[in-house]
Amino acid sequence: MTARTTAVFRKELIDTLRDQRTVFAIFVFPFLLYPAMLMLMSWIESKNDESAKELSVRVGIVGEAEIPGLKEWIAATPGVTPVTLERAPERLDRGDVNAVFVVPPGVEAAIARGDSIKVELLYMDTDNTSSAAAQRVRPILDDIERSLTVSWARAMGAHAEAAPPFSVARRDISSKTDQGRFFAALLIPYLLVFMVAAGAMQTAVDATTGEKERSTLETLLSTAASRGELVMGKAGAVLATSITGAVTGITGLWLTFNVVTRLVPGMEESALQITIGADKAILLFLTMIPTAVFLSAVLVAIGCFARSMREGQTYASYVYMGSVFLGLGSFGQQAPEQRLFFIPILNTALFQREILTDTVNMMHAMTAIGVTTGLAVLMLVVATRLFSNETVLFRT
Amino acid sequence: MIQVSGLQKTFHDRKKGDVHAVRGISFTCKPGQVFGLLGRNGAGKTTTLRMLATILVPTGGTATVAGFDIVEKSAEVRRRIGYLSGETKLYDRLTGRELLQYFGALAGMSGAAVAARIGALTERFLLAELLDVRVGKMSTGMKQRLSITRVVFHDPEVMIFDEPTAGLDVIAARGVLTLIDDLKRQGRTIIYSTHIMTEAERICDEVAIIERGEILAHGSIESIRDRAPSRSVEDVFVEVVTSAGGVNGDR
Repeated sequence: MTARTTAVFRKELIDTLRDQRTVFAIFVFPFLLYPAMLMLMSWIESKNDESAKELSVRVGIVGEAEIPGLKEWIAATPGVTPVTLERAPERLDRGDVNAVFVVPPGVEAAIARGDSIKVELLYMDTDNTSSAAAQRVRPILDDIERSLTVSWARAMGAHAEAAPPFSVARRDISSKTDQGRFFAALLIPYLLVFMVAAGAMQTAVDATTGEKERSTLETLLSTAASRGELVMGKAGAVLATSITGAVTGITGLWLTFNVVTRLVPGMEESALQITIGADKAILLFLTMIPTAVFLSAVLVAIGCFARSMREGQTYASYVYMGSVFLGLGSFGQQAPEQRLFFIPILNTALFQREILTDTVNMMHAMTAIGVTTGLAVLMLVVATRLFSNETVLFRT
Repeated sequence: MIQVSGLQKTFHDRKKGDVHAVRGISFTCKPGQVFGLLGRNGAGKTTTLRMLATILVPTGGTATVAGFDIVEKSAEVRRRIGYLSGETKLYDRLTGRELLQYFGALAGMSGAAVAARIGALTERFLLAELLDVRVGKMSTGMKQRLSITRVVFHDPEVMIFDEPTAGLDVIAARGVLTLIDDLKRQGRTIIYSTHIMTEAERICDEVAIIERGEILAHGSIESIRDRAPSRSVEDVFVEVVTSAGGVNGDR
């Protein structure tokens, strides 16, 4: 790095740190946004729970006579009023009932024959009241199943007075640490990608298109600094801003789930132990750098090309959306194919997930780092070329 | 010294086709001299000066600044010039001191040299009130003073001024002209573009009247005045441009 590049880098950083919008976005926003979002979500969830508890629902029964005592079971459930129906309504969000038990005709005969019986609980997941009604009466389905089993056993000649003493159940034995690790592996690579892109946007456009818009470009171009030195200094400042943005973003997220949830009453359920060892944190940071350089160079190149701040910000938002889209592509890739590691941004997100889940594949690692580094260098060359091209620089 | 020979610049416009902004102009500007480039808006002055400052690349002809070819040795040229345009601005979020440090570093000066130079120029340019104030908070006159300080900060041999008094009030404009007079006395090579004839009469030793990218008249202020002894340079300018069919917004 030459003294001139350092001077440009330093100047751009000073400029950025004196821009209140950027300072707020990088240093304040992450520490306000995530706690605020989590608190809001917790509040909404607890409100929904409270509302669901207070809610009175009406549950219809079609074929009530087929299972003796069914109406009484339902009536015994707090806040539920059973309603006898001839047939199930087509929709539940407009009718008199919020959920419906449908018992097929001829249950007794079917049991005697040993045929299967299908009892359904109809509800609409898209309707909050219907969903709450279904949740409240769902245990009754288990009771019906046990009752039918006893009836079937008797029909088969067995001497059964009660349901068999066995049960099959699912139990999630993952700890908070396991859940935190899963959450981290899924979300952190994606968040890093989009935070790097978001952090770079404003500075990149300001440092390049801003020179045109503020009429400072000619002065800069007439100095002894070469175009390459100017671009490298600007890209360096954009890179520093984007990485700082990503680090503060992840720190804000970590603080939210590890500290804020424990400090705020009622949010303990949301607490996750997102603990990343120093070795993995360093690896994440290092693997982020080629992508950060790549995105910074792309945004600087776009800034050189754009005629106005508005145009530059529009182009930059496309890059941001593209990054978010590629980052999202890492979701649901349980065993990613080698070819996916040739796609910039996505490859870094996938590789970082391998780091977080201790499943690093060296071929994936080399491809991701190599491809991204190569593209980063290429984009820096493109940015320098654009900054050296008077047709691009002074286009109107 | 600036030597310009047959300099040309053609821009390609998708709608208009080729636009010949500068059409083979030639002149020489010697040390200790202010060379005035006089012309209307759009006559080709700014394009010429941008080429001399190596911001634009000529499409024909040659030019040397301080002995270096503007295309082949553009980096050497930029080390030796100070460029100021009335339209260019400064960085609002930097203080005066930071701005001078920035441009000093871009000129290749060390931190110690920058500090010494600020000290040396403080009295001459009344920098004390500018150094620790952000540019965005300065008045137009203060900004122009800082701009000029920036131009001379790295002590360039050649200075290029493109309508530096544009938008300034009378007092501030007079300050700029006084400074250019001082620089001329120090033996700098100065090229100065303007469309204000009284300015040209006051500070220029030699002028060229440029219209549609061509030099229509060229010579010392006296020789230009001799074309119409009873009249001013402005009268001569209007006559020259009119006879070339260049008045009434006909570009």
